[in-house]
Amino acid sequence: MQPHLKRAIFLLGVVIVGFIFIRSLVVPDSYGQYGAYRGDSVYENRNFTVEYAGSQSCGDENCHKTLYSIWADSRHKTVNCETCHGPSEKHVSNVRIMPSPANDSREFCGKCHYKMVARPSSFPQIDPESHGENLKCAYCHNPHKPWFV
Amino acid sequence: MMVENLIWGYVYPNEAEIQWSVLIVLYPYITGLVAGAFIASSLYHVFGKKEIKPVARFALLTALSFLLVATMPLLTHLGHPERGIEIMFTPHLTSAMSGFGYIYSFYLIVVVLEIWLSFREDIVKTALNSQGWKKLLYSGLALFSYDISEKALHEDEKLAKKLAIIGIPSAAFLHGYVGFIFGGIKANPWWSTPLMPLIFLMSAIVSGIALLILLYIASMKLRKRAIDHKCLHSLAHYLWIFLILDVALELLEIVSMKYESLEDIEIINRLLSDKIAFTFYGVQLTLGILIPFILLLLVGIMKNRETLKMIMISVSSIFVVIGVFAMRWNVVIGGQEISKSLSGTLTYEPVFFSQEGVLPAIIILAIPFVILVVVTRILPPWKDMEEEVPESKPKSTIKHLY
Amino acid sequence: MNISRREFTKIGCRIVIGAAAGATIVESIISNSIAAEPSSTGDYDWNEHYWGYVIDTRKCIGCGRCANACKLENDVPFDEPVYRTWVERYRVLKEGEVKIDSPNGSIDGFTDDIPAEELKKAFYVPKICNHCDNPPCVQVCPVGATYATNDGVVLVDYDYCIGCRYCIQGCPYGARYFNKEKGTADKCTWCYHRITKGLLPACVQACPVGARVFGDLKDPASDVNKLLDKERINVLKPDLGTKPKVYYVGLDREVR
Repeated sequence: MQPHLKRAIFLLGVVIVGFIFIRSLVVPDSYGQYGAYRGDSVYENRNFTVEYAGSQSCGDENCHKTLYSIWADSRHKTVNCETCHGPSEKHVSNVRIMPSPANDSREFCGKCHYKMVARPSSFPQIDPESHGENLKCAYCHNPHKPWFV
Repeated sequence: MMVENLIWGYVYPNEAEIQWSVLIVLYPYITGLVAGAFIASSLYHVFGKKEIKPVARFALLTALSFLLVATMPLLTHLGHPERGIEIMFTPHLTSAMSGFGYIYSFYLIVVVLEIWLSFREDIVKTALNSQGWKKLLYSGLALFSYDISEKALHEDEKLAKKLAIIGIPSAAFLHGYVGFIFGGIKANPWWSTPLMPLIFLMSAIVSGIALLILLYIASMKLRKRAIDHKCLHSLAHYLWIFLILDVALELLEIVSMKYESLEDIEIINRLLSDKIAFTFYGVQLTLGILIPFILLLLVGIMKNRETLKMIMISVSSIFVVIGVFAMRWNVVIGGQEISKSLSGTLTYEPVFFSQEGVLPAIIILAIPFVILVVVTRILPPWKDMEEEVPESKPKSTIKHLY
Repeated sequence: MNISRREFTKIGCRIVIGAAAGATIVESIISNSIAAEPSSTGDYDWNEHYWGYVIDTRKCIGCGRCANACKLENDVPFDEPVYRTWVERYRVLKEGEVKIDSPNGSIDGFTDDIPAEELKKAFYVPKICNHCDNPPCVQVCPVGATYATNDGVVLVDYDYCIGCRYCIQGCPYGARYFNKEKGTADKCTWCYHRITKGLLPACVQACPVGARVFGDLKDPASDVNKLLDKERINVLKPDLGTKPKVYYVGLDREVR
């Protein structure tokens, strides 16, 4: 073979070996641990911060036990505390951090209970124009144990 | 909000923004030009079409200039350009895109070797006949090996031919695979067709030849040299043939989509009649294919009148290059202008100044021409045929005029 | 000499493997003795679970609390049109036309702008990543920055994603979006950080009517299996062969 071709092939070889070498340094160790991805990523995804603590933690440890038991016995028991009160994991882990107060506007209750065509007709809905004289819903209905007129 | 006005019907909430911008239109456009230019050069190197010889080496340099920037629109578009190299380090082999790094590198090596072998004689001669930094540069390019004996050059030529033979399928693969990136997406009815790689390949060859014609004419005019009309007509002839293949495939795709009339036909019809009607029927098919087809047909029929023919060929080539860009646009942008909910469309509004705007696209598209100027300075592609040309130049012009 | 080198390597390997195994055993003993909380991250075994999701469209009231909770739980920007879950409203007009909308992904709720008399029927459909068994987004990722876990959840590796957005193009359901802050693709994780701690996904927990049900497909008594055993189930775009693991009850033909 001609010397210039030998040199070209040598040069190519150097590039390829260099590539393989750099690759071995750069590819993360956990890549390929479980499949064609970085295994550590699974743990990173598991370690994101939880924001919603769950209703159980509200009723636990004599915090909001009474209110919890009222709610747990009501027709609103399918509505978790944080659906209205907002995420409160931070409050659960540190009671000094107060969650923002629940939205008690008519519009907020209306997100579920205003009359909408697309809603299942069996679901309790009101016409905001004619029902309740524009008063706050909590004026008549206890959100933790709603009663139905 | 502004976005609302651009949306018709229902699009999934996450689709409000178009993800693949004008830069991604540019990427298949540029690789297409590369593949086309390379295949044009191999018409001489592999198939021994002697009439193409005047542009054979120039075509290789054109391919290289565009190949060097092919990655730029992609890298500019990435959310994390610094991680782009992962595609080489850990290619995820089920992805059509994962091959990019290796196919691209392989092809780059083939093109560089091919250029090196076909220019080696010139490189060595320049290295031996020059001084200072120039000597160093050319000696470096010659890898400090100066054997240009008859035997060595013959060996080079044989190897160059072998490389060109490897180069054709890899050029076809490089670009056919770009088509597959789109054709393999079952989520998008406008993209998902097995014809896509072939359509991309044919339009690539068409655009590459057209670009080569334009660059050839332009550089001859700039260098005030006579145009080799035989070569030009031969290129025009191949352009015409590949135009036919291209339009056949493009129409086949549309016709079968409309004929089969699947669930997605309503949204496809809306796309074709509303969103991309002008760029598809107007630019891609009429300006980009029909008019050049007729013009080139006339060129083939007409006798003599070389200047007129040259103008017609140039105009056709300009139209083809624009038409193929429109074709890339219609695929990349058009495919994203229909919602995957099949119930709505959205509109892409290009931004000028932004990372993914028109300005970077223009810059990226201009770079290969700069590279080409530089590369042709370092490796003049015309040398071998013009050593005897200067005296005979006026004669040949006259011969062609009458 | 060669043989001795091979022997040496063998012994070396054994020592390394032995030490690693020993460390693992010691570690497992320690963690066993501490293990008091069943929900601690350490003892979650992903081979024991295979998650599934059922959506009962007949129950959904379109309040949008799911989409809202999702954004709060997962730090999804509120001011950008990106959603890990959203609720669509379908309204079939008497003349036959179908109106679909999901203003701000339903987070602000819906307003009745077509009178009931003009409608044939109307309903809500919650949407979420289907965590397909044959996920096209994972297939198309060029670098392996998105993957399906052994417990059947499709996740994104935010430190590895190059941001090419091919997966966004590949998802037939529009479930993926581009996270501009991170410069990567992003999507629903079924709250992987919650479900591996024994919690429910935020959207499931926020749903006031139980339209969203989440559970373990490997557990025959789980809530999802109870529904799957009883109800007539469909999935979205079954013809694409993606094999979604979000199962719908009461899915209308208009829903895509």
